[in-house]
Amino acid sequence: MVCRLRERPSIRQRALGWLEVAIAFGIAEATPAYAHVGTGFPGGFESGFRHPFNGWDHLLAMVSVGIWGAFLGRPLIYALPVIFPVMMVGGAMLGMFSVPMPPVELGIAVSLLMLGLCVCFAIAAPVWVACAIVATFAVFHGYAHGVELPSAADPVGYSVGFVLTTGLLHVLGIGIGLLNGRPKGIFVTRSLGAAVTLAGVWFLCLALSR
Amino acid sequence: MRGGALPPALLCVALGLGLASAEAKAALVGLAVLVVMAWAIAFAPIPGSWADTVFLGCWTSIIATAAIVHGSGTLKDKKGFAFSLNASVWTGSVIALAPSKMELLEALPLALCAWPAAWARRRGQAVVLKVLASWLIAVAVLGATLQFLPVTPGYLPDHMD
Repeated sequence: MVCRLRERPSIRQRALGWLEVAIAFGIAEATPAYAHVGTGFPGGFESGFRHPFNGWDHLLAMVSVGIWGAFLGRPLIYALPVIFPVMMVGGAMLGMFSVPMPPVELGIAVSLLMLGLCVCFAIAAPVWVACAIVATFAVFHGYAHGVELPSAADPVGYSVGFVLTTGLLHVLGIGIGLLNGRPKGIFVTRSLGAAVTLAGVWFLCLALSR
Repeated sequence: MRGGALPPALLCVALGLGLASAEAKAALVGLAVLVVMAWAIAFAPIPGSWADTVFLGCWTSIIATAAIVHGSGTLKDKKGFAFSLNASVWTGSVIALAPSKMELLEALPLALCAWPAAWARRRGQAVVLKVLASWLIAVAVLGATLQFLPVTPGYLPDHMD
């Protein structure tokens, strides 16, 4: 009986395979140019929901809040994901009414730096200090959203979208933070904190160079 | 554009989360009141000039209804009935102003979140409901504020309207 071994694809074939997959994803992701893509509930909600994913600064900050909350335990594990979206809405209102604020980009960069350090060193801040830190930074993040809100076609849908994403990113952060209970889990979460701190330094340099 | 069916949908979610802390019978009565009254009011001739008041009432009701979740203990029957009645009035009123009454079918089923919410509550996960209720309150505060904002492109009708 002749047993034919399956031939392994060459590097070139594998590269072509990946290229095909990339093209397929590209076609799937490509969106036609709708003139009113931001109009109505789907447009407003979707653009609001996607918004925090468009910027690493927002995304990392929100995930870090969740991780830090998981480090701090009760009551902050659920208090922080409540405080951040609520204060973010406060910041958004300041932004919508164009209330003057300190440089927002700088505030967001500092928020990343601070939250990254809190996670990296597992800082066990008192409840009121943790709440104050998160609330202050949430205002900056909310302000940035609020300034962009008036340009959205459906501000209500947009608001719901970005508040929901913010909350879900906190939940994601809490999920990552729950790794602390596993062996080497703390190493992973604190390393993520270090990475967020580095990202914070990068965004701070960018903000200062402007 | 004020979110279309979104405010009543959020109000139904808030009521569902609130009724999760009521006894099963009271929750069922509350849901029945919501469905019947909202349908009845949705076909009432509400003048378009009342739109600002109706939407503000809806956002305010979301805040009040979501606040129930933060209360401790069981929701009393009479209180549950009152909140359901209030939610049905504002849900129906917003839909009465909408171009299609069928938007009610998008909003009302969301009140059924009372069932999984009650399950979560029984398993000692009431904190999850509190977090969700806080997000609803945050969105409602923003939604209500948007009404008082000087005209934004979002509130200007475009040629598609």
